Amino acid sequence: MIRHRRIAALVAAAAAMTLAAGCGRDAGTSKDTAKAVSAGKAGGEITVWAMGTEGEKLAAFAKDFTAANPDAKVTVTAIPWDAAHQKIASAIAARQTPDVSMIGTTWQGEFAKTGALDATPAGLFAGDAFFPGAQETTKVNGTAYGVPWYVETRALYYRTDLAQQAGITSAPKTWDDLTAMAAALQSTGGAKWGIYLQPGKTGSWQTLMPFGWSNGASIADDKGYTFDSPQMTEALAYYQSFFTRKLSPTDLPNGELEPDFGKGTIGAFVSGPWEAALVDQQGAKGKYAVVPLPAKQSSTSFIGGSNIAVFKDAKNRDAAWKFIQWLSTPAVQVKWYQSAGDLPAVQSAWQDPALSADKTLATFGEQLKSAKAPPSFPTWEQVSAVLDNEVEKVVNGKEGAGAALKAVQSQASSIGTGA
Amino acid sequence: MAVVTVRARPAPAPAASRRAAGNRRRALTGWGFALPFVLLFLVFSALPVIASLVMSLTDIRSTDLRRPLGVNFVGLDNYLKVFSDDLFLRSALNTVVVVLVGVPLTLLLALAAANALNSGLIRFRSLFRVGFYLPVVTSIVAIAVVWRFLLDPEVGLVDNALRLVGIDGPNWLQNPHTALPSLIVMTAWRNFGTMMVIFLAALQSIPTDLYEAATLDGAGRWAQFRRITLPLLRATVLFGAVYTGIGYLQVFEEPFVMTQGGPLQSTLTVSYHIYHQFGYGNYGYAAAASYVLFVAIVGLSVLQFRLLRERD
Repeated sequence: MIRHRRIAALVAAAAAMTLAAGCGRDAGTSKDTAKAVSAGKAGGEITVWAMGTEGEKLAAFAKDFTAANPDAKVTVTAIPWDAAHQKIASAIAARQTPDVSMIGTTWQGEFAKTGALDATPAGLFAGDAFFPGAQETTKVNGTAYGVPWYVETRALYYRTDLAQQAGITSAPKTWDDLTAMAAALQSTGGAKWGIYLQPGKTGSWQTLMPFGWSNGASIADDKGYTFDSPQMTEALAYYQSFFTRKLSPTDLPNGELEPDFGKGTIGAFVSGPWEAALVDQQGAKGKYAVVPLPAKQSSTSFIGGSNIAVFKDAKNRDAAWKFIQWLSTPAVQVKWYQSAGDLPAVQSAWQDPALSADKTLATFGEQLKSAKAPPSFPTWEQVSAVLDNEVEKVVNGKEGAGAALKAVQSQASSIGTGA
Repeated sequence: MAVVTVRARPAPAPAASRRAAGNRRRALTGWGFALPFVLLFLVFSALPVIASLVMSLTDIRSTDLRRPLGVNFVGLDNYLKVFSDDLFLRSALNTVVVVLVGVPLTLLLALAAANALNSGLIRFRSLFRVGFYLPVVTSIVAIAVVWRFLLDPEVGLVDNALRLVGIDGPNWLQNPHTALPSLIVMTAWRNFGTMMVIFLAALQSIPTDLYEAATLDGAGRWAQFRRITLPLLRATVLFGAVYTGIGYLQVFEEPFVMTQGGPLQSTLTVSYHIYHQFGYGNYGYAAAASYVLFVAIVGLSVLQFRLLRERD
């Protein structure tokens, strides 16, 4: 009995000691070094997770890869977008990750910080193959984890028929042009609202930030967030002006944008390439144009899309990287665009007639060259929600642009970069 | 880490020892039967609860997933952060409004419906009973679609009805002043069916001779309701208040599907705020906020038991 108790006490003490030793963060941050990938053809099973359309279409699409690498087998698991973040996080915690997964660009910082992602091997991809903005989203603390798979960006849609009616014959080139066009569409073009800009709520920063970047603002440096700058303030004040002048609605119900644009109730809006098909369905086909965002210092849009990465716990790492390398070849990127509708992240793929012949797409292609992404800090999702909340206050006239950005900055500073 | 001390007992006498052996065997058998539940409870209930309590005292984030033990203990920092967070305070205020307005509203609706159904004033009683209960078993998503249509400023029934009498109704869900009240009404409508069924059962258990005697004494319907029905329903009202109050403190689905917490955070609730924080990967903070909500629920329940306790 007494001996048992002694053993129990020993075990408890040992457990306490390991706990004490195990707790507490490491002082230094170790830099990841990218290991090389072996030469030769890929072999073995490659497990891949992908979301949305990509998850549905990738399995059939990968047959070309397995035809060229007969020893390899690609197993694709489709996961819904809503569940994807949680599922990947759980897999990382349990160390039960697949070999490859699609990673949302804004998740990159968080997942890379866990140490679960494998650094991109040097020499596998040309440094300038991808759009620079997209390439930046894969980099965390200067190391790239994975590569951009596909991209999207924002441009200006406007009703050319209403613009003509209002006496506007060319696309707006500057911020002043944009304001003038929105006002004209509303006063003489017959639109109820000259333009629609997202009035706060989730993701409104994606419409706001192009104005900030076009004005030379930078919202982060190496050390942290820098929202409170004169350039950003000017951009937000400009954004606000559309609402104070009643050119843009603050309370448009969800899903009303496309029908309203089709009816001509809304004259213009800023959004991504997927809207073209939606407004075509609503009867706007042939009555609108998609043009680059009007410039201030530059015309710099937002770049989104998705990355694809290999996990450190991958069982078939080398083959996984070869599969990603195959996905990033220009010809495969064009083919992927044709089967899934995803815009290529590889710049040279855009010279293919399948993309260059389409005028709307050409606009997005041009915009992508200079488009920027937010910083890849693990806390970006939370900080962007703060920004969305303040944007909502600003467009509703509850707050000035300067005060709002000071509030964003103070909250962002207290949240930190998480890095 | 808990320190367990076991006191040594004096050696037992032989007869007592036999009895003790039998007791021990019985105890073992008992524990054997309880073992499946105890194991499941320990692994799937107790352990997560303890883990989340420990988490709330650390600075754990989603980026620590691979090294969950490599985090720092920060004491009550997360709790301090919760109470200095404007968003949390805003969500707490919204939640308090939902409880203070929603619980009485739900109970009143339920009591009124139960009384009407019980008094025989209404024909097609079972039809109404089903109708009132239907929202409880309907999916929140379907309800959200219908209510969004009802409250739409252009095509909605509510604003069109108001227009008929010359009132220009607001854009209910997009207006920071009307969004929360709209949600409270919807929540009450969705939930009063459960309490109605319970009140109905309680009403039917009140002996009819009490009402007969009261009628003979010349008491009107209202007097009967106040002097007989309400006092005898006291326990049921208490149960309803606690049950509904706990539910409304955790209100999440309605703002999630209807307004996403907006406009201007006017419908952000505590549960929704916690959900966001977990999503941002702030596990330590979110765990702390969850415990604050837990304490509030316990507090509200104790308060209601005290207020509605039968006076001796």
